[in-house]
Amino acid sequence: MTVSATKFFAQGNVYVPHIAVIEKIVEETPGVRTYHFNFKDEKLRKEFTFESGQFGQYSVLGTGEATFCISSSPTRPDHLEFAVQKVGKVTNALNRLGVGAEIGFRGPYGNSFPLESLKGKNLVFVGGGIGLAPLRSLIWNVIDNRGIYNKVDIVYGARTPTDLCFKYDLEVWGKDKTVNMVTTVDRGDDSWKGKVGVVPKILEEVAPPAKDTVAIVCGPPIMIRFTFPVLEKLGFKPEQMLTTLEKRMKCGIGKCGRCNIGNIYVCRDGPVFSYAQIKDFVSSEY
Amino acid sequence: MADKKISKKDIARLLEQWGQQFAVFAPSKDSGVAAMAEWDGQDTSFLDWYRNTIVPPKASFLPPMEEMFHFQKGEEGYNIKTPPKDERNRLLFGVRPCDARAIAILDMTFKDAYEDPYYLSKRKDAVLVGLGCTNPCESCFCTSMGVSPAESADVDLMLIDIGDEFLIEEVTDKGKELIAKTKGLKEATKEDEAKATQSKKTAYDRVTRKLDTEGIKDKLLASFDDEEFWEKTAAKCISCGICTLLCPTCYCFDINDEMVKQEGTRFRSWDSCGFPNYTKMPMENPRQEKWRRVRQKVCHKYEFYPMTFDVIACTGCGRCIRLCPVNWDITRVIESVPDKTEARK
Repeated sequence: MTVSATKFFAQGNVYVPHIAVIEKIVEETPGVRTYHFNFKDEKLRKEFTFESGQFGQYSVLGTGEATFCISSSPTRPDHLEFAVQKVGKVTNALNRLGVGAEIGFRGPYGNSFPLESLKGKNLVFVGGGIGLAPLRSLIWNVIDNRGIYNKVDIVYGARTPTDLCFKYDLEVWGKDKTVNMVTTVDRGDDSWKGKVGVVPKILEEVAPPAKDTVAIVCGPPIMIRFTFPVLEKLGFKPEQMLTTLEKRMKCGIGKCGRCNIGNIYVCRDGPVFSYAQIKDFVSSEY
Repeated sequence: MADKKISKKDIARLLEQWGQQFAVFAPSKDSGVAAMAEWDGQDTSFLDWYRNTIVPPKASFLPPMEEMFHFQKGEEGYNIKTPPKDERNRLLFGVRPCDARAIAILDMTFKDAYEDPYYLSKRKDAVLVGLGCTNPCESCFCTSMGVSPAESADVDLMLIDIGDEFLIEEVTDKGKELIAKTKGLKEATKEDEAKATQSKKTAYDRVTRKLDTEGIKDKLLASFDDEEFWEKTAAKCISCGICTLLCPTCYCFDINDEMVKQEGTRFRSWDSCGFPNYTKMPMENPRQEKWRRVRQKVCHKYEFYPMTFDVIACTGCGRCIRLCPVNWDITRVIESVPDKTEARK
């Protein structure tokens, strides 16, 4: 997993955002929205590329910047997407913006999922809540190149049926015969027909054999902490487990200091890591 | 070629000469706090009081607060303008060897992976003129960190106190070129050079505080999860951030926006891993507890920076010891790290 430095500088300055326009807003759950956007500059719109797993620094100018992964897939390049939960200063300011509003974007930053080494492998995606956002970029990427990969399992959960993000995708993946999709909630309701139970517990029941399989785990820290031991119990080696980490970031390029875990900067060396890379520090700093 | 020298009373004339080409910065107490400030064209009284600045010279390249760009919201949407580059390059006069090494350490971060345009545009063509210490502080421990108080390879020119005069050593080509264009310098004699050698040795011997950093990187790695040690180490810390803000190798910054009506500024400002908000996310904070922040500060300098850049991010300048309001002492901390490296193997 190497850093692929962005070449898309605005005004030759890595800190200056590109101006982009919000084209569509999707209400995922109460408090979570997906924003579809495109760059204002037509040349950049055509030239811009990124990889699944990479992130951007998004600006609401006057309020500030925040870090979100690109949740759309590079195989569907007509626009870009990111999903946010309304929890902080910038996400609240975003929430006040409508279609047509301008935002700033810097990136893409960070490394990406190691597609080359996933070729021919079985993949099990393990997601929780809004943690499906980075997985979703890779899942669509895999589905759009389905022949390259072996079996695909998705285990996705949220607290309640209402909290499930990307319901329109879950529906499509659920019907896709080449994908084994399991959805779970911590607490069901009268109309809920899927599994009930936290993601690590359900994963233990439905996970595919570890042999030739790579697990890609994204979700809240608590889910990640409980999922790794389950996978280890199932015979997955630390090298067979991938995740994306989330930390407070300001610069996105390894300068401002705050997103480190040990000598690793999540922005510069991640956000995609194998469990083998982070297990020394993860118990104590994540 | 032999070294040059200059009489101490001619320093004002020297700075005046350099001031025609550079924005000259020199030690100053005009703000009430000793710092490198743009030289006023006359005052060289710092030669009498100067031991080191409180604000490290990193501030000349990474100011405490700095505009990144200005933005305006018009009918056509947002318009972003970055500030113009300074017209004159900077010349820093009187940089101490510990702080010069610190700047070399900062260069590594600001050049790594992505170049930082704000830092490097000021740093790239700057000239560093070092000034050897004659009277190091009790808290100084530079000689334990590979720095000699009156010698430096991290400056362009190095001035050594030889009594009524300074001997001038040309350290880099940039320094050599500047000296070739500088008028009013005298040739140093063999005797002057002998005095300079003695001056360096005297200064070196006056640094009495010692720190053994042998194997510290591995010791810290092995003690990372020793919560009891870190709790004890952090006990009296008041999280004021001084030891990081005024550390010559600390570079952490925050980025914020300010907007009034349709216009605004994005600026960056010094930040500190000592502050609880530094890593705070809306839903959680990985370093909410004080000991985790103190651990980060110590490990970043003595473990993580060496892992990435193969150099300890501490030059023994002693500021964090001198300026700490509760007498926290990095040298005592480093010496008290338990050696658990064997157990780990």
